[in-house]
Amino acid sequence: MKDTNFDYDKYIEDTHKYGRFFLSVGVLALLGAPFLIASLTNAHINFPAFVTAVSKVLLIYIPSCIAEYLIYVPLLGIGGVYLSFLTGNLTNLKLPCAFSSRELAKTTAGTPEDEIVMTLAIATSALTTMLVIALGVLMIVPLTPILQNPVIKPAFDNVLPALFGALGYQYFIKDLKLSTFAMVSMVLIGIGFPFLIGDTGTMIIVIGALSIGAAYLLFRHKNKEIK
Amino acid sequence: MNDYLALANSKTIYLIVATILLFVCVFCFTFIVRSYRAGIKMGMEKTLLKKAVTSSATFTAIPSISILLGVLALGGNLGVPLAWLRLSVIGNLQYEATVAQIAAQGIGKTLDSALLSMDDLVTILLVMTVGIIWGCLLTIFTLKQYTKKLSHKSIQNKKTNRPSFAGIAMVAMFIGLCAAFLGNYVANFIVNGVSIPVLTALVSAFVMAIFEYLIKKKNFKVLESFSLALSMIIAMVSTVFFSMVM
Repeated sequence: MKDTNFDYDKYIEDTHKYGRFFLSVGVLALLGAPFLIASLTNAHINFPAFVTAVSKVLLIYIPSCIAEYLIYVPLLGIGGVYLSFLTGNLTNLKLPCAFSSRELAKTTAGTPEDEIVMTLAIATSALTTMLVIALGVLMIVPLTPILQNPVIKPAFDNVLPALFGALGYQYFIKDLKLSTFAMVSMVLIGIGFPFLIGDTGTMIIVIGALSIGAAYLLFRHKNKEIK
Repeated sequence: MNDYLALANSKTIYLIVATILLFVCVFCFTFIVRSYRAGIKMGMEKTLLKKAVTSSATFTAIPSISILLGVLALGGNLGVPLAWLRLSVIGNLQYEATVAQIAAQGIGKTLDSALLSMDDLVTILLVMTVGIIWGCLLTIFTLKQYTKKLSHKSIQNKKTNRPSFAGIAMVAMFIGLCAAFLGNYVANFIVNGVSIPVLTALVSAFVMAIFEYLIKKKNFKVLESFSLALSMIIAMVSTVFFSMVM
C-alpha cells in the first residue's frame, strides 16, 4: 500500500548523499590500493613510466569517459549511475541489464518507478557479477581447465554476440526504419574503415549519436505531420 | 611459480582486494534495500520489485562467466587477485587488457609474468586505475547538477505540452548500441570472413523471437524473466557446434 508520507525528493537527495559517500570512498580505496600494495611488498611505483603510460591512456579514454557520462546518465537513473560507474562493465552488461529490466517492469525512463527499477537491476547485476567472479576465483584450480577447454571456449568467446542478438531482436522490432539505418551505417563504416572493427567503445558513441540524430529527424517530421 | 607471481598472488593482496570488494558489495546491498523499501512506500507491487531483482540476476549470470574468463586471462600476468579487482570494478575486459599492455610498454616491457616485477605491477595498477577513474569523478562532482538540469528540461516540456523526445532518444540510443555490436560482427564477416559471431547472434535473435511469440501470443508469462538468459545459452551451445563444424 502507498505510504502518503513518503517523500521522493528526500529519497533522491539521500541517494546523492549515499552515492557520493560510497563512490568517494571506493575511488580513494582503488587509488590507494597500488600505494598500499607497494608499501606492504616493498615495491616502488615507477612514476616516470606511470606518467608516460597514463598520458597515452588519458588521451584515448578521457573523451570516451566524458561522452559515456553525458549519454548514460539519463539512461540509468541516479542510483544506477552511482552504482554503474563504480562497478564498471557499463556498455556490455549494466546498460543492457537495466534496459531489459525496464522492458520487463514496463516503466518509463525518468519516472520515480523507473528510478527504483534501475537501481534494483544495476545493484543486483553488480552483485551477481562479483559473486560469479568470487566463486570462480575460489574454484580457480578445478575451473580453469573446464573454462579453457578448446571445445567449450568458443561459447564464452561469443557471449556478447549471444547477448546482443537477443537484445537486438527485442529493440529492432520497435523501430525497423531506425534499426536498418543504424545497422547499415555500422556495416558501411566497418567495411570502409576496417581498423574500426572491434573498436566497439568508439562505435557505440558514433552509432548511438547517429541513431539519436536520425530518431530526432523522424520525430520532428512526425510532429510536423500531426500539426 | 616465480617470486613475482608468488607475491602477486599472495594472501596480503587477496585480503586488500577482498576488503575493497566487500565495501562495493555493501554499497550495492545498501542501494537494493533503500530502493526496495522506497518502491514499497511508493505503492509499487512487491512482485514487480522482486522480478527486477531475479531477472537482473539471471541476465547477468552468463555474461559474468565470460568476465571470469578475463580474470583467468589477466590473472596469468597480473596475479589473480588484482585481475579479480580490476574486472569487478570500473572498466571492462577490453579496457583492462589494453591499458595493462600500454602500461607495460610505458615501463619498457611487455605484459608477461616472466618479465614483470612488483614495481611494474603497482605501476600498471595505478595506470589502470587513474585511466578509468574520470567517470566516477564526474559522477561525484557533477551528477546532482546534471540530473537537475535534465529534470528541469523535462518539466519545461511537460508545461509547454511539447511531446517528449527523451523516451524516443533512449530507444534510439539502445538501437545504436545493439547495432554497434551486431553491425560490427556483420562487417567483420564481410571484411575478414569471421562468421561465428554473426551466426551466434542470429541464433540468439531467432530463439528470442520464438520466446517473444510464446510470451505475447501464447501467454507463457513465466518465460519473461528467463527468455534472455535462455536465448543466450542456446546460442552459446550452437556456437560450440558451429566452431566444431567450421
